[in-house]
Amino acid sequence: MSASSASFEALRVEIAGKQIHMNVGGAGSPLIYLHSAAGETDWMPFHEDLSKHFRVHAPAHPGFGRSTGLEQIDDIHDLAWHYVDLFEQLGWRQVPVVGFSLGAWIALEVAVLRPELISQLVLVAAAGIRVEGAPVAELFLSDFKEARELVFHDPDSPVVKVAMPLTFDDSRVLMWMRAQEATARVGWNPYLHDPKLPGHLHRVRCPVQIIWGRNDKLIPVAHGEYYAEHLPNAKLSVFEQCGHMVPFEKKEAFVDAVIDFAAIGRSERR
Amino acid sequence: MQFFVFHLMPWDRLPADFDEKHKSAWTWLPNSTFEPVHGGELYNRYLDELVLAEPLGFDGVCVNEHHQNAYGTMPSPNLMAAILARQTKRVKIAVVGNALPLYNPPTRVAEEFAMIDCISGGRLIAGLVVGGGPEYYSFTVNPTFAREMYSEAMDLVLRCWTEPGPFEHYGKHWKLKYVNPWPRPIQAPHPPIWVPGAGSRETIEMVAARRFSYMGIPYFHIDFFQRNFDTFREACEKNGYTADPLQLGWLCPIYVADSDEQAWADYEPHFTYFRKKLLKGLTVFPPGYTTAKSMLGINQALKKFLLNVETREEIEKGAYAIVGSPETVRDKLTEYVKRLGVGNLLGLFQLGTLPADLTRKNMTLFAEKVMPAVRQNCAAL
Repeated sequence: MSASSASFEALRVEIAGKQIHMNVGGAGSPLIYLHSAAGETDWMPFHEDLSKHFRVHAPAHPGFGRSTGLEQIDDIHDLAWHYVDLFEQLGWRQVPVVGFSLGAWIALEVAVLRPELISQLVLVAAAGIRVEGAPVAELFLSDFKEARELVFHDPDSPVVKVAMPLTFDDSRVLMWMRAQEATARVGWNPYLHDPKLPGHLHRVRCPVQIIWGRNDKLIPVAHGEYYAEHLPNAKLSVFEQCGHMVPFEKKEAFVDAVIDFAAIGRSERR
Repeated sequence: MQFFVFHLMPWDRLPADFDEKHKSAWTWLPNSTFEPVHGGELYNRYLDELVLAEPLGFDGVCVNEHHQNAYGTMPSPNLMAAILARQTKRVKIAVVGNALPLYNPPTRVAEEFAMIDCISGGRLIAGLVVGGGPEYYSFTVNPTFAREMYSEAMDLVLRCWTEPGPFEHYGKHWKLKYVNPWPRPIQAPHPPIWVPGAGSRETIEMVAARRFSYMGIPYFHIDFFQRNFDTFREACEKNGYTADPLQLGWLCPIYVADSDEQAWADYEPHFTYFRKKLLKGLTVFPPGYTTAKSMLGINQALKKFLLNVETREEIEKGAYAIVGSPETVRDKLTEYVKRLGVGNLLGLFQLGTLPADLTRKNMTLFAEKVMPAVRQNCAAL
């Protein structure tokens, strides 16, 4: 599924006994990408585009892709501490982090635990909270047709097959099922949220760019509005004609938003 | 050879537009579909059918646990078993079983099973199960912990019955300072343990290693049972003993009438309701409930699941249900029981919308004209 040949390296690091696979590509200042429940751990077209501006690091969470160690993860906090370890081991401090859906939730939890690790945050269709009146839909569907209708605004778009298998005969099914399992591990109950997270949001003081699809049926845009209101330094951008899968559905707009936001961060620090 | 009457206690009044409107008879089917007065009548009728098993000469009765569904309306099989403990005097009462991860703490299972064993004078068979896939949606219990919760709870329940209390239990999923359940069961060291399985190797090996009994989950092709039971026998050999046929059970829908044609004519509409409506949604497997690799294997076996079987010929060939005259049913059961080498036959004599009169006639004909012959033909099992 990679956009072009050998524009990235596939690395492996050991973090507290877990074998973590990570794709790294591009040059320039570092950018960390934390993937969603869909398990987009291969080098995707938007990784490629981002790598023209940053040195993109895209690790697979434990239990996703070829990363091991799910048995060490019992809840979202274990996953957050895993990233505290990973950031410290790789010497990442004050780096920009882009998190999508589950990845955005993890990024927020890391920002609560270790604010100094993250310079600025891009939250794309972030899981992590429960908003009264705007329930998160059922993600754990075994029917691929239902799943794609849920997460894409246009389920017949050609980008769908870049992101997920369309049938059980697809060679990516095993990876998809591993991704579902690893997501359920931290997100089954409480369902895709941490009841304590809203109480911590005031501690996330770094600049935050929130991006949401107007037509997100999985995590309604009301969640984005809640985050924008309760994070001290956040701005919300809503993309029209877009569902949950923002980096696939609105690749250019997403990449541009990340570039613009990171540039602001760099000039602010100067 | 032991013969049991198994009851699912199904809901028999799904709305006419069920097929178009609902994808499942489980979890999401609105409970406004359940009519309480009729539900009460059904419970009493179904209990009567189980009580009838004793005078007819069956060896035991079986109930099981399911939640938020129309397929089996027994969220608490222990309540049913408690009633049966009083209303019968001789038959074994098999609760197949309690879904351990759904009990918090699982010492509750040790307590309630011990109560039933005491009240029944030591007639309980204790089924300890993981619970079906849909149950993990209905209870919001994390399916990725299902196996380790089951294993921890199983050890705890057995300790409750075999180790003097009070003792501490500090496991991953439960931390209990004082474990000291009253009462204790009559049967020593504990009631027989039955574990149902759909073929996962992990379950088969655990049951064989602990010398429990393995019950094949129904609605699959007979070859699937054969393979699983053979695997079980091999696993027992690896553990240094030969499996007792009583360690194996085959659960199967059975319908007997005066002739083959009469039997199919009677049975077909009720069996179809069961297959096409009640089974819809049973085979939901939440993520992590079993490994992704086993899941791909299950997906293969599901192609031969009863829900996906269409013709009478396919049903007969795969032995998804044994239907016919007393002679037909006798001959088929003799052949299959011998072939599978099972010591327990668990018959589903009521399914779907099958009414009370046909259910009782079915059980009576079976008990009078089939059971004695099969018992004799399969005396070695």
